[in-house]
Parts: sequence; structure tokens; C-alpha cells
Amino acid sequence: MLKEFAELVRYRELLLNLVVRDLKVRYKNSVLGFFWSLTNPLLQVAVITLVIRRVMEAPIPNYSAYLLCAFLPWTFFQMSVLDASSSILFHSDLVKKTYFPREILPASIVLSNLVHFILALGVFFVYLLVLGTPILVTWLLLPVVVIIQLLLNMGVAFFVSCLNVFYEDIKYLATVVLSLLFFLTPIMYLVEQINSSKGIPDAYRPILLNFHFLNPLSMLMTAYRKLLLPAFNTQTIHDIPLNYWYLALAGLTSLLIFLAGYAFFNSRKWYFAERV
Amino acid sequence: MEAIIVRDLHKKFRLSHERTASLKALALSFRRKKYEDIHALKGVSFSVQAGETVAVVGKNGSGKSTLLGIMARVYRPTSGEVVMNGRVSSLLELGAGFHPELTGIENIYLNGSILGMRRREIDKRLDEIISFAELEQFIDAPLRTYSSGMVMRLGFSIAIQVDPDIMLVDEVLAVGDESFQKKCYDKVREFQSAGKTIIFVSHDLKAIREAATRAIWLDSGEIRADDGVEAVLGAYVEHSLASKDRADVP
Repeated sequence: MLKEFAELVRYRELLLNLVVRDLKVRYKNSVLGFFWSLTNPLLQVAVITLVIRRVMEAPIPNYSAYLLCAFLPWTFFQMSVLDASSSILFHSDLVKKTYFPREILPASIVLSNLVHFILALGVFFVYLLVLGTPILVTWLLLPVVVIIQLLLNMGVAFFVSCLNVFYEDIKYLATVVLSLLFFLTPIMYLVEQINSSKGIPDAYRPILLNFHFLNPLSMLMTAYRKLLLPAFNTQTIHDIPLNYWYLALAGLTSLLIFLAGYAFFNSRKWYFAERV
Repeated sequence: MEAIIVRDLHKKFRLSHERTASLKALALSFRRKKYEDIHALKGVSFSVQAGETVAVVGKNGSGKSTLLGIMARVYRPTSGEVVMNGRVSSLLELGAGFHPELTGIENIYLNGSILGMRRREIDKRLDEIISFAELEQFIDAPLRTYSSGMVMRLGFSIAIQVDPDIMLVDEVLAVGDESFQKKCYDKVREFQSAGKTIIFVSHDLKAIREAATRAIWLDSGEIRADDGVEAVLGAYVEHSLASKDRADVP
């Protein structure tokens, strides 16, 4: 695996060029150009704020910020996995005719989605300043969480892109699993609401909470909230502070998923040319 | 010095009867055999000295492209090995990764990095790439405004700037108009006199006679002949005529 990685490092300029190509091509012929990458998060901010303010009853102050804070990284995860799933088939002419480390294809997809995510985070911070939420020291830990998520996204992207070459159903399966995960992960709700919701029997609360803390995706979504937004306490919902051990565990799990995904991908990547 | 050593090379492809791979196909074909193994190369061995220009001939399906694909590291051999001493440039596909929305320059950098060139190398050779392709006026326009001939010229001109020790060519020399083709053959001769090794697959017997110093005839995945150009081509043409398979005879 180290040899494969050294070869990938040798081809780093190709990886960079593919990311740049992706970003350039996406908005090449549109009048607003790169600003389109900002419109998506801006619209999300606007719609979510409006719905929370006017329709739903917000359980805590500035609830729209808490929603967005998990929704943006979720979009990063979802787009990475979906775009990566067809990345090898999409570049079948390259795979059939030229030599280069195959992992560059899914990796470039994840990296260009990372660029979009970082832009969206920029919009999000402006929104926080507008809302007037406090500036926190824990903002400094944001890069750590982003790196953990990058590992997780890469790992899953390696699995999905590789499997989709051999079984094209994987793309559809991924869509289904993602839409389930969206609701199993604290994005549209707070992890604390597991403790306060009347619909959940007491016996299940610890199981559900542990599920959230042990699976890296949920833990990451929660960590973004804890690090970027202030703690809250209302009569019914009590803040659960960020447990750094769980975050470290999420980091370890993500690293393992990354390594396993990379190893899996490497074991099959030289058969792609025969299958696409 | 040997530039290429090929030892007892075998390649089997698993050809699926059903084109679409799916989980359903996997489940249904659980007990039935739904594929066949194609033995594309059956123990091919040869070596090439540095500076040789070797033409590979053979009918369609004889294993020529598979052999080239393994040398270009697109496929892994089933068994046996290939040793390539030196930097390899493969012209199996011109303009790999070209994107119609990007400009000529942007595509040069993209395609160059697919061929394994560094940014600095491309910077240095940019002017030569553009002038060889005769695209000075169009190089800042998006590729979609190019004619197909212009695209091929650009692809070829990047590929030859990789400055390889070994070049693999798959019937792509026939690009552009007559004067560009002449430039290409001049370039090939320039490579030859610089002591580079060239392997090319072609059906164009005239081109082979002009450029090659040696020919290998592949037949159903085995080497049928490996000798001087005239000897191999003579036997090959005779065999093709005898078997009434006129498709490959010019």
C-alpha cells in the first residue's frame, strides 16, 4: 500500500489538474460563474431560516444555524459518495487507454466537493456573524473535524466507486442508503432530542445515543455543531457537551474506513480496464 | 542494452455474456456459467534492444492490442512479466482526458499530466507543443471550437513531447492532413536516430516497411514469426491471402 501511495504522490499534479478541471468546467459557460457554488448554501440558509422562523417551532434559539451546521457537511458527504460512484465508468476511455493511479478519479471528486464545502462554510460563518452567535475558541478545531470527514468520505468513495464498476446497482443502492442515513443521523434534529423526545421509550435512549456517538458520521455532524455553535439549555433539551474521546474514536474509525477502502480499491483497480 | 523484455506472457480475459454487470445478474448466474475465458496471449516472449523499431502485425483479435495494453500498464498480465527499461510514452489514445470546454492550453496541461509530465516540463515545452500542432491562433479558444483534425494534432504533439525512451504506438500515426503526417514520420525518424525504442501496431504495411527495423507477427495470441520486416511481412501477407482473410491485406 505504501508503494501505491508513493505512486499517487508522483501523480499529484494530475489529481490537482482533475480537481481544477472539475471546478472550471462546472461553471464555465454560466454568467455568474463560480458564484453558483455559493448560491446553493445561500439558498439553503434562506429556506431553512424561513421555515424555522415561520412554520416550525424552534426548540432552541438560532435553531436554523444548528440545522445548517450539520446539513452542509452532510451535503459534502452525500455528493462525494454519489459523484464518486460513477467516477470510474464516467472516465472509461481514460481507464481503458492510459496508465495512472486509478484512485485519482474518486479522490479528485471528493476533493472538488471539499472545495465546495469550504466555500459553503465561508457563507455559514458570515451567517453566524449576522445572527450574532458568539465567536468561540473551539472554531480553531474545525480543520481537525474537516480532515476526519475527508478521510471518511474518501474511504466510502473508494468502496463505492470500485464496487460500481463490477455491479452497477451500487449507485442506486448508495442513493437508498444515503436517504436512510440522512434521517438516522442527527441533521434535522439535535442529538439531545433523543433524551427529550416523548416518542422514544426510556429503554431505547441509551442505545440510540450510543449509536450516534459510535458511528463516525453522526459523531462528525454533532462535533461540527458543538465546535461552531454555543451550548444551549432549555427546559426540555439539555446540552450534551462534546466528548473528545468519542471524537477521537470517530477519527480512528474514519482512518480505518479510509485504509480499508484504499486497500479494497487497490486490490481491484487493475481489473477496471477489463470491465468498463 | 535491452529496452523491453517480455517473458512468457499470458493474458486471460473473462468475457461476460451479459453486457451489464449487476447484482441481479450475479444472483441469477449463481450456478450457471455466464462467461467465457478468452486466452488473448498464450505465452509470448521476446526482447527488444534499445533503438529498435518493432512493428507488431496480426489479424484483428490476434492479441496485438492486449500486448500493447500490458506494456502500457493498462492491463495486468495473468502470468509472465514485462520489463520496460526507461520512460514509456504510450500513444494508445491521443488527447486522453481532453475536455471540450477547456482551452487548448488548459488541455495541454491536463493531458500532459495524464501522460506523466510535470508542470515544469510542460511549461518548458509549451511553445514547441503549440507550434508543432500548428495551433498558435487557436490555443486560447475552447477545444469544442476545434476541428477533429486539430484535436488529433494537439494530442499527437503533446504525446511526442513526453520525451520517452520507449514509445508505444497504436495506429494513430494516421492523423491530420498529408503535410502533418509527413511531419509525424519525420518525428518518428528523429526518435529513431536519437536511439529511442518504438513499438507500433499497424495494418499499414507501407508504413511498416518505411519505419520498422523488425516485425513480430502475432496469431491467436502466439508469436508466429519474429524476424526482419520483409521476411515477416512476406509470410504474413501470403498467409492472409491463403486463408482468404482479405480484411487485413491492403
